[in-house]
Amino acid sequence: MSDMDMPDTGLAPVEPVDDINTPGFWEKNESLFLGFGFIALVIIIWQLVPSVFTLSKGMKLFFATPTMIVGAFGDLIASGKLWPALQFSASAFGLGLGLSIIVALPLGVVMGRSQVLSDMFDPFITAINATPRLVFLPLILIWFGIGMWSVVVVVFIGALFPLLINTYEGVKNADKLLINVVKSYGANEWEINKLVVIPNSLPFIIAGLRLAIGRAVLGVVVAEFFGGSSNGVGVIMVRASGSFQVDVVFAGLILFMAMSLILTGIVRSIEARFSRWRPQQTKSF
Amino acid sequence: MADYIKAENINLTFTPPNRRPVTALQDFNLSVDEGEFVSIVGPSGCGKSTFLNVLLGLIPPNTGVMSINGKTVSGPGQDRAMVFQEFGLLPWRTVMDNVGLGQELRGVSKAERRDASQKFIEMVGLAGFENHYPHELSGGMKQRVGIARALVSDPDVLLMDEPFAALDAQTRDIMQAELLRIWQEAKKTVLFVTHQIEEAVYLSDRVIVMTKRPGRTKKLIDIPLARPRDYEMRVTPEFNDLKLQIWNELKDEIDSQGGPVND
Amino acid sequence: MEEEVGKLTFWQTWRRLIIGGIAVILFFLVWEALLTWFIPLNKFVISKPSLIFLGIARDMESGILWRDLLVSGRPLLFGFGAAVLIGIPVGVVMGWRERVGYSLDPLLTALYASPLVAVAPLVIIFFGVGVAGKAILIFVLCVFPFVFNSLAGVRSVDPLLINTVRSFGGKEMDLYRIVIVPTVLPFVIAGARYAIGRGLIGVLVGEFFAASEGVGYRIAWYGDMYVLDRMFGYILVMMVVAILFTEGIRWAERTAFPWRVGM
Repeated sequence: MSDMDMPDTGLAPVEPVDDINTPGFWEKNESLFLGFGFIALVIIIWQLVPSVFTLSKGMKLFFATPTMIVGAFGDLIASGKLWPALQFSASAFGLGLGLSIIVALPLGVVMGRSQVLSDMFDPFITAINATPRLVFLPLILIWFGIGMWSVVVVVFIGALFPLLINTYEGVKNADKLLINVVKSYGANEWEINKLVVIPNSLPFIIAGLRLAIGRAVLGVVVAEFFGGSSNGVGVIMVRASGSFQVDVVFAGLILFMAMSLILTGIVRSIEARFSRWRPQQTKSF
Repeated sequence: MADYIKAENINLTFTPPNRRPVTALQDFNLSVDEGEFVSIVGPSGCGKSTFLNVLLGLIPPNTGVMSINGKTVSGPGQDRAMVFQEFGLLPWRTVMDNVGLGQELRGVSKAERRDASQKFIEMVGLAGFENHYPHELSGGMKQRVGIARALVSDPDVLLMDEPFAALDAQTRDIMQAELLRIWQEAKKTVLFVTHQIEEAVYLSDRVIVMTKRPGRTKKLIDIPLARPRDYEMRVTPEFNDLKLQIWNELKDEIDSQGGPVND
Repeated sequence: MEEEVGKLTFWQTWRRLIIGGIAVILFFLVWEALLTWFIPLNKFVISKPSLIFLGIARDMESGILWRDLLVSGRPLLFGFGAAVLIGIPVGVVMGWRERVGYSLDPLLTALYASPLVAVAPLVIIFFGVGVAGKAILIFVLCVFPFVFNSLAGVRSVDPLLINTVRSFGGKEMDLYRIVIVPTVLPFVIAGARYAIGRGLIGVLVGEFFAASEGVGYRIAWYGDMYVLDRMFGYILVMMVVAILFTEGIRWAERTAFPWRVGM
């Protein structure tokens, strides 16, 4: 319990100086080194397992080493199959996300400003948000058939709710005091929105966007996986698992993971920029 | 009894990881008589809170002797209790269960705890709020809980670490008067750390001014004002003289430190 | 002496429920009316509330609904349980030992960000189509919220509270009981709320992929056979289950942790 033994003495922190005990390069970036080091370690061990242990026939089928995965990646790109699939998945993603933004933002603002409306929509939002979207997939397939639209709808539903809820919270959260101040200077409804409500909501909305992206990527995978279409990276993956090409499956997984991380990372930095004026809030789920 | 609390040549140096070592207290000496109300003032970062923690027994000094009533301090004990600036109330417990914390840890039975806690809850003026949670209370009320909690275990020494700093001015005035009332009733030895000179003069029998870090006792100033103290005393010439005296001592330390806060 | 939090009027407490309830009833009524009097009902594309509820009643009567719930529930119980038993200790250790936290965090975050449902076929094929395969899949999906939330909970333990308890004589065990567990528990329960959602996804994925019974299987099956009213019925049942779990946990959080206002 090293960090917890030191009581809060009220001593102000001291600047590090060129001296003994000052943090060096290794110490300052300790968390990064440990984190990536661990990942590197895992990858190395993973790579070496088949060479060190003799695996049974069954296990061998499942054990795709990192080099195999990279190889699979290479093959996919070379065979020209990856690009169209990626285009398909990406467009479904973009369309679904775009549609959800178009619907969520205005609806969220309206709901945020009208207590009655939000009470009316509340049960529906709570219900659909709590339910795993997958449950609607068979219905969506019946209504939209196999093809891009099914995927788009699944992405749309997934992305809609975090955006909607966050926009709503952001608008509702707009400081009544500030609204009164602006009103006293003669602002009308539109100006109130422009001056107070929207700037206040932006951090919330962007946070909602970050969550929505994660859900959207998941939506693409899930929809493509379960027969939502005949194109797309997810379809490549599900076919590969059917034919025990584990390396392809993992390659696809890593591709989606990278997409998700990169996109949310970008949004996070935008989020940070727009949240500079806010007091520090503890990160929580 | 003189030298009831005695700090002899206390030295305390912290070595936080990846930072230069910090000497909080150096050749620190202090002596408090039984039943006295003593305030400690000093510039920010001078180590006054650290000293309280040493007295409390949470940090052992590197060298020197800290003793109460002749016995060396070697860890927290029933004879001392602390009231914290940020209250330190357990948010998931009611007022009653918070006040009874010390006794609970010493194994006192639930029924006895209840009775004792009830008595002190009433003494600090919180009758009726026994089953409230801290988040339902105002700052002043929370600190009353802190005081009740400290008193319930019947300590000989009450340590108070800027207890009213987080309260607004009006509440602070009320709490100061309350504290004096409670102190007269309970008759404890009190060590009170504060930034506020006026508060120190108003409450104490003696004020100890500390030097800047590394902390040492700079000057002891007696407060010969009559008890019980009342609000009008704050505007008398004697009061202001004492304030000025303390301020001058402090000013030197703050100036030579290069500013009020030693960061 | 000082103010209490004001009590709400009847309308204020119940307004949300009443307006929400009216909205839901209106929704079903309009749906029913539209498909009864205004739009011809194409049984292969959609259904209406009266038929849906009738279908649910029939499925309940025949026992098939209960059987499916049971079959789906078993792997959920095992997977979720395993996630609790493994996820919480891992998260706690990560929060406790800073270095462990640093090492594991990026890897686990990356895994959490990946669509792990994609490995569902592999898991099922490897571990079989029975309860084990599905339970493991559910475990993989459920474990992360517990890890991250336990981690956050441990990191949020207030050092002031630790000090306070120590100052009153608390030992290691007391610290766990009085400070650490009450701090971490709300985080863990919130994590459960997220985990159960992911767990339900795991149930459905497993059953869409390989099953002969279960709620997910039944939805797909009714879909394949275009028995829309029964399919809607099961979807509704699934929604009710999901709501019961999520809102149930939310309610538990509100009542058990009243001090966590606004979180």
